[in-house]
Amino acid sequence: MAYYVNRNIKMTWWEKIYLPEIIKGMAITSRHFFMNLFGFVPFLLGTKKERPIMTVYYPEEQVQYPIAYRGRPVLAQNEDGQPACVACGLCEIACPAYCIHIEPGENSGKQNQYERWPDVFNIDYAICIFCGNCEEACPEEAIFMSDDCEISMLDRKKMLYTKEQLLTPVAELQKRIEFTRNMYAKWNY
Amino acid sequence: MWVDLAITLVKILFIIGITVGFFAPILTWVERKQSAIMQDRIGANRADILGFTAIGLFHCIADAVKMFTKEDFIPDGANKILHTLSPIIAVVPAILTFAVVPFGGQYTIFDKEVNLVISDLDVGLLFVFAIASLATYGYVIAGWSSNNNWSLLGSMRTASQMISYEVTMGLTIVGVLMVYGSMKLTTIGAIQEDFFRWGLFLQPLGFFMFLAASIAENKRIPFDNPEAESEIVAGYFTEYSGLKFGMFFMSEFIEMVTIGAIMTILFFGAWHIPFLTTTTLLGWFDFLGATGSNILVMLIQVGVFFSKVVFFIWLQMTIRWTLPRFRYDQIMKLGWKILLPLSLANILVTGIVILVLN
Repeated sequence: MAYYVNRNIKMTWWEKIYLPEIIKGMAITSRHFFMNLFGFVPFLLGTKKERPIMTVYYPEEQVQYPIAYRGRPVLAQNEDGQPACVACGLCEIACPAYCIHIEPGENSGKQNQYERWPDVFNIDYAICIFCGNCEEACPEEAIFMSDDCEISMLDRKKMLYTKEQLLTPVAELQKRIEFTRNMYAKWNY
Repeated sequence: MWVDLAITLVKILFIIGITVGFFAPILTWVERKQSAIMQDRIGANRADILGFTAIGLFHCIADAVKMFTKEDFIPDGANKILHTLSPIIAVVPAILTFAVVPFGGQYTIFDKEVNLVISDLDVGLLFVFAIASLATYGYVIAGWSSNNNWSLLGSMRTASQMISYEVTMGLTIVGVLMVYGSMKLTTIGAIQEDFFRWGLFLQPLGFFMFLAASIAENKRIPFDNPEAESEIVAGYFTEYSGLKFGMFFMSEFIEMVTIGAIMTILFFGAWHIPFLTTTTLLGWFDFLGATGSNILVMLIQVGVFFSKVVFFIWLQMTIRWTLPRFRYDQIMKLGWKILLPLSLANILVTGIVILVLN
């Protein structure tokens, strides 16, 4: 004996014929069909800027990601061309995937120089999970999540980025810096 | 005699070309693109030749290349002969039904009667159903020979569904035959020169029942239980790959064209434009001479016929992308408890009306 689920649906006589309801449904789908089919005509003629279909043609067209978007982490490059990083190693510790490798370097004794800086600063994007913990841990506003997410490669070894590859001018990261200041309220400790 | 042979050969080549060469590949693209547009998406548009995409039309070529180069896999324990044979059994009847389908009327070209049908059988309609039901063997054998439970389930469902709906289909056709008094598809087409004698007006119930039954015969959504992806993987062609799968695929699309053609001939005025008889058209183009006007009218009417076919293909696609799949018991209930009594009632009413009018 088959088991029937009682769905408590009381259909009217009109719905029970089934055919009018099918035609109603097909009217909806064919309306969409014709609207989308002929909606492209003014776009192709250039009289209308927007397509009726909202899909983004990805590689050719790109959208601006929201500022909270976490792409690949990059090092902020100061105006003097050096990273703001002082090689404290907090990001290295905060990283849950252990993708950051830092070797600190020492001041040579000259005046007006940082005391410490990273000699080596590697991030392996093949391991990185884009969690943003490094950004949150950094006390010097040196590492930030950019909006760049197109880092797929055919060779794993090439995904290990060195300090020179990671450096990004501060000017490009300004919005993200402000966002992190609001977000983590770093200077309010 | 040689001229007759040449004309027949040209007609055969035309039919094969337009079904296998044009409709079958293009419909794979149409199905994707239409479904996309209906659902506010873009659809296939990435296959390109030298950076030229042609709104995705090259996907047909890409599909064909893919199917030709894919590994042809026969599973362990499968019956090799039947496994190889069944796609052929499925695809050949689909093409063969076009032998009796007229795609135009009769024209006099260079004092020669040209009848635009490959074989003008007296029992054309019966031939169509006889051949179409042969395809069932292809599907059933495909499922059985694959040595796979899902395939077997799919083929069982195919068998029961095809048999159930063939009954309805046959009985629906009886009403049409009673109205037109002929099984010859060319005669049925010729009678519908009069707009008010189109099958749609004489057999409105039969039209809808035939549409439902023929979609069920073609095993497309909402009647696609035999392949039901979400239930039994892919039904009877689960174990098929490469060109063998392509043949099943192709037979489905060619059957869509066949259904469109049969519906056009039986219910939608065949190759006639409403209110424009062939004689009127010939009169319009009288200045071209007998042969010229005949050729022009022939081209127009073949065009009209195929645009009607394209309309029915569009209708089937729209139905396929609008409705959800029936449950198995619902299919059987619809077939045996609703469509079968309705088709019998349709015969009765048609008979009474014909009796009263005469």
